Amino acid sequence: MPPHTPGSYRPRKKRTASELASASSNGTVSLDLPTKREKPAFPLAAFFWPIKGTPVSQWVVLSMILMAVGLFRWVTGFWQYSGYQTPPMHGDFEAQRHWMELTVHLPVTHWYFHDLQWWGLDYPPLTAYHSWILGMLGTYIQPDWFALYLSRRSDDEGLKVFMRATVIVSELAVFIPAAILCIRQLARLHNINSWESAIALTAFLMQPATILIDHGHFQYNTVMLGFQLASLASMLAGRRLWSCVFFVSALGFKQMALFYAPAVAAYLAGSCIFPRIDIARFIGMAIITVASFAALFLPLLLGTAFDVYRGIPLPADAQAPPLLPAIPFEIPETAWYQPYVVQLLQAIHRIFPFARGLFEDKVANIWCAVHASGIHKLTVYDSTTLSRASLVLTLAAITPPCAILFFRPRANLIPLAFAATAWAFFLCGFQVHEKNVLLPLLPMTLLLGTSEGMKPAIRAWVGYANLLGCFTMFPLLTRDGLRIPYAVLTLLWAYLLALPPFSLSAYAPSASEGGPHWFSKVAHLSSFIVMLGWHAVVAFVEPPKDKPDLWVVANVMLGAAGFGLCYLWCLWRLVGESGLLSVFERKAKQVEKKRQ
Amino acid sequence: MMAEHYPTIPQCAAVATALKVLLWPSYRSTDFEVHRNWLAITNSLPLKEWYYEKTSEWTLDYPPFFAYFEWLLSRGAQYADNGMLAVKDLNYASWETVYYQRATVILTELVLVYALYLYAQSSPPGTKRQSHAAAISILLSPGLLIIDHIHFQYNGFLYGILILSIVLARKSSGLLASGIVFAALLCFKHIYLYLAPAYFVYLLRTYCLGPRSIFHIQFLNCIKLGLSIIVVAGLAFGPFVYYEQIPQVLERLFPFSRGLCHAYWAPNVWAMYSFTDRVLIYAAPYLKLPVDASAVQSVTRGLVGDTSFAVLPNITPRATFILTLGTQIPALIKLFLRPNWYNFVATTTLCAYASFLFGWHVHEKAILLVIIPFSLIALKDRRHLGAFRPLAVAGHVSLFPLLFTTPEFPVKVAYTIFWLIGFLLAFDRLAPASPNPRYFLFDRFSLLYIAIAIPLIAYCSLGHSLVFGAKYEFLPLMFISSYSAVGVVASWVGFLVVFFTS
Repeated sequence: MPPHTPGSYRPRKKRTASELASASSNGTVSLDLPTKREKPAFPLAAFFWPIKGTPVSQWVVLSMILMAVGLFRWVTGFWQYSGYQTPPMHGDFEAQRHWMELTVHLPVTHWYFHDLQWWGLDYPPLTAYHSWILGMLGTYIQPDWFALYLSRRSDDEGLKVFMRATVIVSELAVFIPAAILCIRQLARLHNINSWESAIALTAFLMQPATILIDHGHFQYNTVMLGFQLASLASMLAGRRLWSCVFFVSALGFKQMALFYAPAVAAYLAGSCIFPRIDIARFIGMAIITVASFAALFLPLLLGTAFDVYRGIPLPADAQAPPLLPAIPFEIPETAWYQPYVVQLLQAIHRIFPFARGLFEDKVANIWCAVHASGIHKLTVYDSTTLSRASLVLTLAAITPPCAILFFRPRANLIPLAFAATAWAFFLCGFQVHEKNVLLPLLPMTLLLGTSEGMKPAIRAWVGYANLLGCFTMFPLLTRDGLRIPYAVLTLLWAYLLALPPFSLSAYAPSASEGGPHWFSKVAHLSSFIVMLGWHAVVAFVEPPKDKPDLWVVANVMLGAAGFGLCYLWCLWRLVGESGLLSVFERKAKQVEKKRQ
Repeated sequence: MMAEHYPTIPQCAAVATALKVLLWPSYRSTDFEVHRNWLAITNSLPLKEWYYEKTSEWTLDYPPFFAYFEWLLSRGAQYADNGMLAVKDLNYASWETVYYQRATVILTELVLVYALYLYAQSSPPGTKRQSHAAAISILLSPGLLIIDHIHFQYNGFLYGILILSIVLARKSSGLLASGIVFAALLCFKHIYLYLAPAYFVYLLRTYCLGPRSIFHIQFLNCIKLGLSIIVVAGLAFGPFVYYEQIPQVLERLFPFSRGLCHAYWAPNVWAMYSFTDRVLIYAAPYLKLPVDASAVQSVTRGLVGDTSFAVLPNITPRATFILTLGTQIPALIKLFLRPNWYNFVATTTLCAYASFLFGWHVHEKAILLVIIPFSLIALKDRRHLGAFRPLAVAGHVSLFPLLFTTPEFPVKVAYTIFWLIGFLLAFDRLAPASPNPRYFLFDRFSLLYIAIAIPLIAYCSLGHSLVFGAKYEFLPLMFISSYSAVGVVASWVGFLVVFFTS
C-alpha cells in the first residue's frame, strides 16, 4: 500500500464484476422485443459484445482500441495529402514541412520573418518548437528532406512516410492520452461503466473528420485539440490550474483554440465566484496562466538573446511589425529590449492576420452562406465594418452559453457549453476555415461519453453534426484527392453508430421513449436526403457554365443551416441541463423523482 | 429463432472492407502485374494462345478455371480502364487499374464470407459460439489481409471455395457436391492438390463404399462422383484437349525446374535444414566434415533461390515427394478407418502440414493451407488450441518478409498483433476442456515461443539494419523462417499427438 497522503491521494475506483455487468446506462444495449434478449444497439457495441461483463483487463481493451484506430489512421495516410504535386503553392503538407526546414536551419530571430511569401510561419510558438523537434529528427534520418531552399516542394515518398508518422506520434503523445483521460472523467462524473466508456472512446477516436484532416489532408490539429481535451479533462477532474496550463498550450500551438477561450474563461471565472467567492483560486489561476504564457514565449526570447549575443541581424527583407507604431511609447532602435519587443510583436502579427478577409474560400458559416447564396453580397462593405459586424454577432451568439457556464460552473455542463461556444465562433466568426469545424465537433462528440450519450436522442445529434461536418469538407477533400477515404471513413462511422444512410434506428423511438424530438427527426432526415442527393448530383451533373461554384454553394448553405441547428440544439440542451429556467427545473425534479 | 452471436459475420466483413479499401494505394507485389497480365491475355487473345503467350515473364501458370475467372473479370475491366487489357503494356498500373483489381479481390472474397456463414450455421448446437469465433478469425485473418489486400492475390475467393467444400462434406447429402466443388477448386489453383489425398480417402470411404463394410461398393455413387469429376475436368481442360495443348498446359502448371526453397524461405523442414547447413559451415573444420566450396559461395551471397548445401547432402525432388506422402499416410489410414467429418478436416490439415513442411519449392504463402482448415477445428478442445497457438504465431510472422516496404510495416505488425491478442484470448475463453490430459510442457513451450516473437520481430525489422546496415540481408529472413519453422513443426508434432491419441 502506498502511504496515505491527504489531499493529493485519491483511492482508485475498483470496478467489480457486478458493476461491469450492470445494466446499460447510456444506450449501448437495446432489447430485442420478440426474444426479450439484450442486443447491441449499434454495430460498434457489437464489436465489444464478447467482452461485455467479462473481467478482461482494461489494458488489453485499451491497447486493442488503440491498435484499431491507429491502423485506420495510418492507412488513411497512404492516400494523397493536400497540395501533392500541385504548383504553385502546394498545400498544408508543404507548409508544415517548410516550417521544419526553416526552424532547423535558421536562427530563432528569423523564424517569424523568413520569406513570408512562401508559407511564412503564422502559427504560435509551440508549433514552431514542435516543427523544430520534428525537423531535427527528420534531418537526422535524411537531411535532403529539410535542406534549406533545396527541399521546397519535395514529394519524396520517404518524406511522406516520415511526415505521416510524425502526425501519428504527435497524436499519440497528446490527443490520445487526453481523450482517454477525458472519457474516463466523464464516465466517473456520469457513473458510466468501463465497457460503455470504452465504446464511447472508440467512437470518439474514429471521428472521421479528425482522421481525414490530420492524416489525409495533413495537419497537426490533434495536438491543439489534444491539449484542449486535456484542459477539459482537468476541468472535469477539478484540477483548474492544470486546465489553465493545457489551455495555454492549446492556444500556443494553434490560435484557433480561441474558439474555446470564452467558455474556458467563463467556467474558470465562474468557479471562483459560484457557489462562493474564492479569491485565492482566482489569483492562483491568474499566476499560472501568465506563467504558462511566459513559458510559451521563453524559448523564442532566449533564442533572440542568443542571436543578439551573436550579433545576427534580421533578414534583409524584414519589415518592422505593423503593431510596433501602435505601442503608446517610443522604443528606441538601440534600446536593449527592442529586439525582444520586435520578436513578440512580429509573432503576434503573424499569428493574427487582421488584414485578411472575413472568410476564406467557401466555408459553411453565416457570412459565406449569406454572401455566396446571393441573398446579400458582402463585398459592398469594407473589411472594418465586416469585422465589427462579425465581432458583434459572435459576441451575441457566445453570450448565452458562456453566461450559463459562468453562473452555473458545473462539470456536467462543460461539453455542451463548449460545443455551443465553438459553434457560435464557427458560424459567426472572422477568418474561419472549413477545417475549423473540428473544434465544435470535439466537445459535441464527447457527449457520447456522458449519461444517455449513446441513446438515440444524443447519438442522432452527434452523428448528424459529424456527418454534416465531413460533408462540408468534401470540396476540400476532393481537391486533395481524398474522395475514397472520405467515403470510407464517413460511411464506416455512420455504420458503426447505426446512423443514416445505414440505419434509421436512432430515429425510430418517439421523443417520450428517448428518441429525438420530431423536429429533429424531420430536420435530420431531410438533411441526409439532401446530402445524398447532393453527392449524386455532384457525381453525375456538371454545374452550369456561368456558375461553376454552384454545387459548393449548395453544400455551404446546407452546412450553415445544419450547423446553426447544432448550435441551437446545444444551447437548448444546455439551458435544460443547467436548470436555469424554472420550467426546466421542475421538469428535472420530476425526472429525478422518476429515477429514484 | 436462435440467438445471434456478436459481432456478426457481416458486421466484421463491413469493417474489414473499410480497412481493405483504404489499403488500395499500398504496396503491391509483382503478383499485381501477374494478374493484370492475365486479364490482358484472356481478354485480347483467343483461348488457344493463352498458355503459349509469353510477352510478359509472368505467363499464365494457373489452371483453366482461373483463366476463365480472369476472362470474366476482364469483361468488367474494360469499363474501368481499357488500358490494362493490352498484353504489350507491361507494368501498366493506372489508378483505375489499381482500384479495379483491388476491388475485385474484395468482391470475390464474398465467397469466403458466405462459406464462413454456412460453416457457422451448420455447426452443431453446442459448438455454435466456437464456430462463430473461428469463422470470424478466418474472415479477419492477417494472412489474407497481407497476401490478398496488400501483396495481391485472390486467396480469399479460393479459400472460400475450399471452406464451402469442407462445409458441404458435413452432411452425407452434401458429399457429392463437396467433391464437385473441390474438383472445381483444383481447376482454379492446383496448389490444393496437397489436400487431395484427404478428399480422396474421405469420399472413397463415405460415398463410394458402404457405411458398414468396405466391400459393399456403392456403384451408383461411384459413377455419379466419377462422372461429375470428369465433367468438371472436361469443362476446364476440354478446350485445351481439343487444341491438343495439354502438354504445354501441364508444363506451365508444374515447372519442376525451380529450386528446393523459394526465394523467401517458407518456414518448413528445409529452412531448418539450410539453417543447420549454414551453421555447419563454420563448425565443419572442427568436426572434420567435407565442405562444398561452390555451395559456400552461394550461401554467403545470400542467394537462396537455387539451394545447394555445403555440408549436408543435397535434396532431390523425389526425396521430398516420398517424405510428403509418407507423413500423410498414417493420418489417411486413420481417416479411412474412422471416416467422420472431424477426422476429415483434421486429415486435410495434416496433409497440408506434410506438404508444407516437406514439399518441393513451397511458398511461405502456402501456410494458409494449414492455418485455415486447422482454424475450423482449433476450438474443439484445449488440446487442439494448444497445438494451434504456435502455428497461429509462426504462420503469420513468417508472412512478414513478404512486405518489406516501410509504410506497410506498421500495418502488418499492428494488425497481426491485434488479431493474435484478440483471437488467442477469445479462443482461450471459448475452447472447452479436453477429455484427455494436456501436456504441461507443450503449453510452456508455446508461451515461451510466443514471447520470443517480440524481440525477433524487433531485431529483424529494426535492429538488424541498425547493427549491420545493408549487410547480411539474408540474416533476418533466415531467422524469421527458422523461428517460424520451429513453431510450425512444433504445432505439427503437437497436432499429430492430439489427433492420434483422441
